[in-house]
Amino acid sequence: MSEEGKVASARRDAFAAEAMVHLDHLYRVAFHLAKDATEADDLVQETFVRALAAREQFEPGTHMKAWLTKILHNFFFDYYRQRKRWNSAEEASKVESPDLENFAASNPGPESHVLLKELDAQITGVLRNIPVEFREPIVLIDVSDFSYEEAAAILSCPIGTIRSRLSRGRKLMHQQLKLYVRGEPTSGTRK
Amino acid sequence: MTCEEAQELITALIDQELPDAERVSLDSHLRLCAHCQIVLEQEALLKQSIRETAQRVRTPNELRARILSDQRTVAKQNRTRRQNLSPLLRRARPALAAAAIIAVLLPALFFFRATPEPLAAAALESYDRFRSGELAVSKTENPQEIVERLTRAVDGRFHPMGYDLTGMGLRPVAGLVRQIHGRKVLVAIYQGEGGTLFCYTFIGSEEDTPRHAARFYDAAKKMNFYAFSHGGLNAVLHREGEIICVLASEMPMEKLLALARSKAKSS
Repeated sequence: MSEEGKVASARRDAFAAEAMVHLDHLYRVAFHLAKDATEADDLVQETFVRALAAREQFEPGTHMKAWLTKILHNFFFDYYRQRKRWNSAEEASKVESPDLENFAASNPGPESHVLLKELDAQITGVLRNIPVEFREPIVLIDVSDFSYEEAAAILSCPIGTIRSRLSRGRKLMHQQLKLYVRGEPTSGTRK
Repeated sequence: MTCEEAQELITALIDQELPDAERVSLDSHLRLCAHCQIVLEQEALLKQSIRETAQRVRTPNELRARILSDQRTVAKQNRTRRQNLSPLLRRARPALAAAAIIAVLLPALFFFRATPEPLAAAALESYDRFRSGELAVSKTENPQEIVERLTRAVDGRFHPMGYDLTGMGLRPVAGLVRQIHGRKVLVAIYQGEGGTLFCYTFIGSEEDTPRHAARFYDAAKKMNFYAFSHGGLNAVLHREGEIICVLASEMPMEKLLALARSKAKSS
């Protein structure tokens, strides 16, 4: 291999290694956007392929986590959503809510590991079921710790839209998870 | 301010994204509205729950290996296994370096092999046959007998690894000698409440690794470990001098890799 080739190869390897640092983050985003684990896997794998192909567009020193997430987001919408392989907002709104009442009655107690796993499954299930336009801000901000500004850049929308969708999304989740969130707001008087 | 108007502001307050001017208005409302105080507490709890749940989601090892062995994500130039990782690490950014320190084990670079059927992959055939009941073995209670018998089979040129895996609920129960690609492969079979594990030992090099294997570099031991899967079976290969050791089991790859790392001795 020529010296030039070696340098290019080493740069690519360094870029790939740096991107791998964010693998868990990307998987968490994909896990909550995709309708199942298999599609989450495909989404993450394709994101890496696209990121490496477009690595020259990445500005060193900038926010690689956000850059990779935007690639993932774009792929999610450009490809999967158009082909209706993923839960679209329309499809998601038709998904039935988990049977929370039966679940709550059959679990042994809040300290149990089983309950923790079940609770994880319930939260994940509910999050996946809310319409994607409300789900994405939650995934970016609550799951991924992005700021409103960063989330707005990734989703290519105004910050105000992020705030309103986030608020609406959490409200939808709360409605479905209300058996787990103690103290329904019924004691106060709405103004 | 109505409760409905306060809703979005509560969301922003929880996320520490509420501008000061709106914060003043919201504070005034919250002082007077018990309903919104509860909404605030509930939404904060929900955010925390979502975050904690998400943190428990981890990338499956199989996906990690798939990405790292994807032909589209590795350099097109031919590579050799003799590439030194250190220069790459030196060029890597601080975030990578920090991750490497924390993780010790750094997912490294991947290589494609020219050999169509590397020995390590071919050797796993015995595990498949054992699993399906096609391969009968005579078991023994004496681990030393297994070591001696296998060592004699290769005229003392090398010996099986003889790992003590009792801590994992595994003990050696049988030994085999296989002739694969003209080379002798010693197979020590471990069984117990920890499941089944095959330990293959043969003279070779890292070139015996399947081309799709994921390479991990253990910075502490300065050794490469190669992880690969075949038909639901996980395997980890490492080299000690001229001896190649392959651990194969149905246990999770992460656990098998940790086992190989703990037992391997630097050449």
